[in-house]
This record gives sequence, structure tokens and C-alpha cells, in this order.
Amino acid sequence: MVAGEPVPHDAAAHEAAAHEAAGHEAEDDARAAPEPPEPAVRASAVRPFLLTAGRVSGSGAAPPLPVETQIVATPDGLSALRSLTFERRDIVAACRRPQSVAELAARLHLHLNVVRVLAEDLCAAGYLAVHVPNAGTVHDISVLRRVIDGLRAVPDSRGSLRDSG
Amino acid sequence: MVSVPSPTHGAHSATAVEEPPLPVKLVIAGGFGVGKTTAVGAISEIRPLTTEALITEVAAGVDDLTHTPGKTTTTVAMDFGVITIDPKLKLYLFGTPGQDRFGFMWDDVVEGALGGLVIVDTRRLDDCYAAVDYFEHKDIPFAVAINAFDGEVQHDLDEVRWALDISEHVPLIVFDARETGSVRDALLVVLDVALSRAQSAAAPA
Repeated sequence: MVAGEPVPHDAAAHEAAAHEAAGHEAEDDARAAPEPPEPAVRASAVRPFLLTAGRVSGSGAAPPLPVETQIVATPDGLSALRSLTFERRDIVAACRRPQSVAELAARLHLHLNVVRVLAEDLCAAGYLAVHVPNAGTVHDISVLRRVIDGLRAVPDSRGSLRDSG
Repeated sequence: MVSVPSPTHGAHSATAVEEPPLPVKLVIAGGFGVGKTTAVGAISEIRPLTTEALITEVAAGVDDLTHTPGKTTTTVAMDFGVITIDPKLKLYLFGTPGQDRFGFMWDDVVEGALGGLVIVDTRRLDDCYAAVDYFEHKDIPFAVAINAFDGEVQHDLDEVRWALDISEHVPLIVFDARETGSVRDALLVVLDVALSRAQSAAAPA
């Protein structure tokens, strides 16, 4: 592992908490048990969008970034790390290796739309490169074939899962 | 192989920027507790992560929330996993949340998906209507998979197809959400639908 590997602060605890939360539905198989209502994550009404000065994603002309959009830190972003604070710093640091918007939100425990807004800001500042997926991929026969071949190679059973990618 | 830095990075390794993979996604839908997270966990190479999805609820019928007129946007927990297809291609699997009392719009997650798998528990068929409707309406390639808990399916496939009003061209399969190989094969069925649709779109009629 390289020194300075992007480790979100308190990563282990976060992963554990995320796993705990995921555990709700992981009880799928306990079919006889009475069902609790779908766990709705209602993040604090105030805090998430304080981080974005009240701005929400997709309210302007551009549609919101797809959840699988890949984000990677630029050299400028990495050199500016010291001058960045809080969530902005966490996002750039976590993007030393490419991450999807969804992965970033999950790992940093940020609201999906907060990540979208901050990522767009950081991209505008030149600190992140945002790779929006091409909508045409859905109909791309060669991509579909690659996915099919790759999926076929998945064995009948997996070993233990890694905690993060 | 993937993460070994090449020697050419040398002194500049701190500023080297990794080229991101092409991301593609499949959506796994169905009622609560039907096995979405189990299926994602069975095939994902990482432990499923949880984030929030924004869904637009179209309030239907009598409910506590109906005093809010029209549509409301709600944040719901969404689990997802990843399969690295090759170094340049990553498949994301999103388990979309759903409750049967509402009409849902998962556009935030589903837009751009290669396809969808609707998981069905035959004891609670009602729970998957919304998902079947949604994929049909959005014209997204999908298959319906009955989660056979302990290998038991309580209805025959024709009955389920009839009850859910699934078109003949939509594959209906039985699978086990706990088994990696079974989930893999179910997703392959979805991708086959997506592929043949792409091929017929590409070929002149």
C-alpha cells in the first residue's frame, strides 16, 4: 500500500456502519420475520446542503451526474489538497484512484447530491476530472459482449468479499 | 496486475492520474426483503456499499403522506456492488429500493442502465408490480427472476407470468439470490435481452 493511500477519515468505522445498515435488507432470507418498513435514510435536513451553500444538483441546465460517473483527482487537485478543507479535501483525497459518484457518497458518508454538487465545483476548479458516461454505451454491442464475457468468467461461488475497492 | 505502478511513473508517481474505467450498470429491483441486497452481495467483488437514492414518489391511495400534494422526492437507502469486467470496464449493480404502495421513479439510478432484473417473491407478487411496470414503461431491457427460497417455488411459471401480466418476450426465470452462479446466470439473461435488442436496432430491418 502506498503512503498517502486515500483513506477516508475513520474509514473502518464507516465501513462497519455501512455494513450494519446494509444488514437490514441482508435479512432477506429470514422470510418468516415480520417486515419492518423499508429503511428510509433521511439525512439531516439542514446539514447536507449547508455544504453546498444550498445548491442542489441538476437544478440548472445540466442533468445530475449519473451515479456511476467516474471521478479522479487531477495533479492540480492533489497538490492543492493542503489548501482544501473538510468534504472538499476528503473528496479529492479519495479520488487518487477513480471512484464513482455512488462509491464516493457511500465511503465518505455524504448525501449523493452533495457529492454531485461538490464534484462539479471541484471539477470547475480544475481539481477533479469528471468522466460522465456516454449514453450510447447502452446500445454498444461490443461493450455488451465484453460485459457478458466478463460476467461468464465469474465463478459459481465467490470467496470472502473485500471491504472496499 | 491492476495496481502495480509501472516503472515509468518514477518520481512523478504522486501526480500520475489513473485513467478511469468505463462504468456500466445493471439495476436490481423488487419489493422490500425480496433479495436485492442478497443478490448484489452474492456477486459483487466488494461488500455492498450503501448510499442514498433520490426517488420521486407519486402518492397513490390513502396514506399518511398523501397530505403532501403531488410528487415528493424522498431519499431511500440503496445498496450497490461492483464487478470488474476488465481493467477498463466496471459493472455496477444497484439495488433499487421500492415499496408497493407508491408509484416510483428511479430515473436518478436507472437512467443509462444496460438493463434490469426484477426479483419476485411468489408469496408477495404485488410487491414487484411497480418495478415491472417501470421497466416496461421506460423500455429498458429486463428479466423477471423468481427468488426460490430453499429451492421452493410455490406457483408455476405460467401462473406467475399471467398474474404479473408479463409480456411473452420478457424472460421469466427462477434463481437463488444467495448463489453467486445463480445471480450471474440471471444477470446474463438480462444482458442477452439487452444484446439482442442492440443487435436488432443496429441491423437494418
